[in-house]
Amino acid sequence: MAGNKKIGRKDLVKLLEKWSQGFTVFAPSRENGEVLMREWDGKDSGFLEWYRNSTQPPKDVVLPPMEKMFAFHKEKDGYRIEEPPPQQQQRRRLLFGIRPCDARALTIVDLPFKEGYEDPYYLARRQGTLLVGLSCTRPYDSCFCTSVGGGPSDASGVDVLLTGTGDGYLAEAATPAGGELLDSAGLEDASPADEAGAAEAKKAALAGITRKIDSEGLKDRLLSCFEDREFWEKAAAKCLSCGVCTFFCPTCYCFDINDEMVGEQGARFKSWDSCAFSVYTQMPVENPRLEKWRRVRQKVCHKFEFYPMNFGVMGCVGCGRCIRLCPVNWDITRVLESLPPAAES
Amino acid sequence: MADIDIEQKLRQEARGLLEQGKVDRILGYEAGSLKFTTTPLVTADKDDTERLVVNPFVVNNLSAFLTGMEGKTGIVAKGCDSRSIVSLMQDRKVARENLVILGIPCPGLIDVRKVEVLLGKERDELEDISREGDKVTVTAAGKKTELPLAKVLFDNCLACDMPTPEEYDVLLGEPQSPVADPAASRAGIEELEAMSPEQRWEFWKGEFSRCTRCYACRNACPACFCQRCFVEETDPQWVLPVPRWQDNLIFQLIRTIHVAGRCTDCGNCERACPAHIPLRSLSKKMYDMVDELFHYRAGMDRNPEPLLTAYEASEAED
Repeated sequence: MAGNKKIGRKDLVKLLEKWSQGFTVFAPSRENGEVLMREWDGKDSGFLEWYRNSTQPPKDVVLPPMEKMFAFHKEKDGYRIEEPPPQQQQRRRLLFGIRPCDARALTIVDLPFKEGYEDPYYLARRQGTLLVGLSCTRPYDSCFCTSVGGGPSDASGVDVLLTGTGDGYLAEAATPAGGELLDSAGLEDASPADEAGAAEAKKAALAGITRKIDSEGLKDRLLSCFEDREFWEKAAAKCLSCGVCTFFCPTCYCFDINDEMVGEQGARFKSWDSCAFSVYTQMPVENPRLEKWRRVRQKVCHKFEFYPMNFGVMGCVGCGRCIRLCPVNWDITRVLESLPPAAES
Repeated sequence: MADIDIEQKLRQEARGLLEQGKVDRILGYEAGSLKFTTTPLVTADKDDTERLVVNPFVVNNLSAFLTGMEGKTGIVAKGCDSRSIVSLMQDRKVARENLVILGIPCPGLIDVRKVEVLLGKERDELEDISREGDKVTVTAAGKKTELPLAKVLFDNCLACDMPTPEEYDVLLGEPQSPVADPAASRAGIEELEAMSPEQRWEFWKGEFSRCTRCYACRNACPACFCQRCFVEETDPQWVLPVPRWQDNLIFQLIRTIHVAGRCTDCGNCERACPAHIPLRSLSKKMYDMVDELFHYRAGMDRNPEPLLTAYEASEAED
């Protein structure tokens, strides 16, 4: 892998144009007050002026809110599945400007979709997507990435990390694919001044993360208060049981499968689901999580106890969306802070 | 009376209610974990009442939590919230004797998103927002900007029919008559009314394409008290639980019709929507139609039968 490169601020549009020849380029876009990762309009890089992070995490690019898995139709002796939609997407995608937390989140979502079970729908999109990340410069007051293993310029989930240097960006390749992307872009090598500028910016962003939690031993604390109904009832009291924190979470991946029949013609859909909904666990004769506190407990334990147990990593990247967007300001960091200490084993 | 005095009085009242065993819990507001936010405080602990706050950011309609709560609740209620409580009483979802209503007169709530747009800054970049009379002073980057209150109140507050609760046990503070701007409150709806049906269809198609079916609107709505929502029925399946814009739109239209005569225009649905879909353009339109056709405004009066359970021969049939 060659050394770091430099991208001049005014050269960025040319670079995006160049990448657009080989990829469908996604970039931050503002629609009705929401910031979304959408196909780049090909015009300018004006989004850099206002972009902090997207309202909806970019996971929707690889795990869309809904997708048609296949169509089927009714025949005399049963149902016949029609050709499934092509699994290999036609063009590779490049996500420009994904934040380090959201890129890292995709590596966390990858785990259930490729370990043990391989989800062809997810993997086709994921494997055809390159992530050009952008170090944070203005973290939100709700961000807490540094408490859960990440950071505003963490490169662990991206292919390329860009960090502002004042007059442009320092481009660091984090994967071989990212290295190839940079090598083929015909960019100048970064100077020591660019390196120094980027290091300064990284330091400043790190200082901008003010929300902190002690994530040491969280798994054990959760394990010992699993049966503490009083704690969970209190923690859950103000939750509305809506899907905001899960649907807008970059690591939540639960989905539901539904069939739709119109006459003889049917289709099977996969769509996001949420453990906050009581119907999520509705069984024919019972519902193990009918009470709200059980659902809240599940959500917290899944991220901070079960995920570490199953995959060795927390199911949270500290992007803070669940705190920013919650209609009642149910704050996961407050709940984690209020956990009783782990019982002596 | 200033917010701070109301707050002190509220804390005393709430503590007293818990100490005397008059309620099992207090349902109020405490400071949120982010600037210019509050969060519901649900507590049975008298010491927690010290955390109760009253300020221009007490945006949640807490009556949405009442359905399903057992025992007695001391609830902090603004005018619009008290109307929702009355409506829940009419529908027999809440018994008056199980409530102690701590009424707070409301001079309107500040919509931080409007402040963000006017200042060109995001919430966490603002240092202070303070309300005095009909002016709001915002401090950002050390600079103070004065804004007329009417420019930063929530749209629904600008057409508030009941700033001071009329159904209460204790009223904290003097009655309020906030800044009103009914035209501004309806501006979004009027834009839609001026469109052709095709344009309106396109508008809502765009809006509901962003809906993820998180159901924050429904769960934040006190009038949405069904134990099982029609969207969760599987036999028959009225709408797919898949966030296709058509299904999303149908969900919201049916929800709007289901709460007709119960919706008090509290604005909780629109505030809860993480996708910023202008849901109040549907609910307020319905509210006005109910008023026009049936001369009925939900929760203004506890005596009449709920709108949808009563019928008069003189009512319009079309």
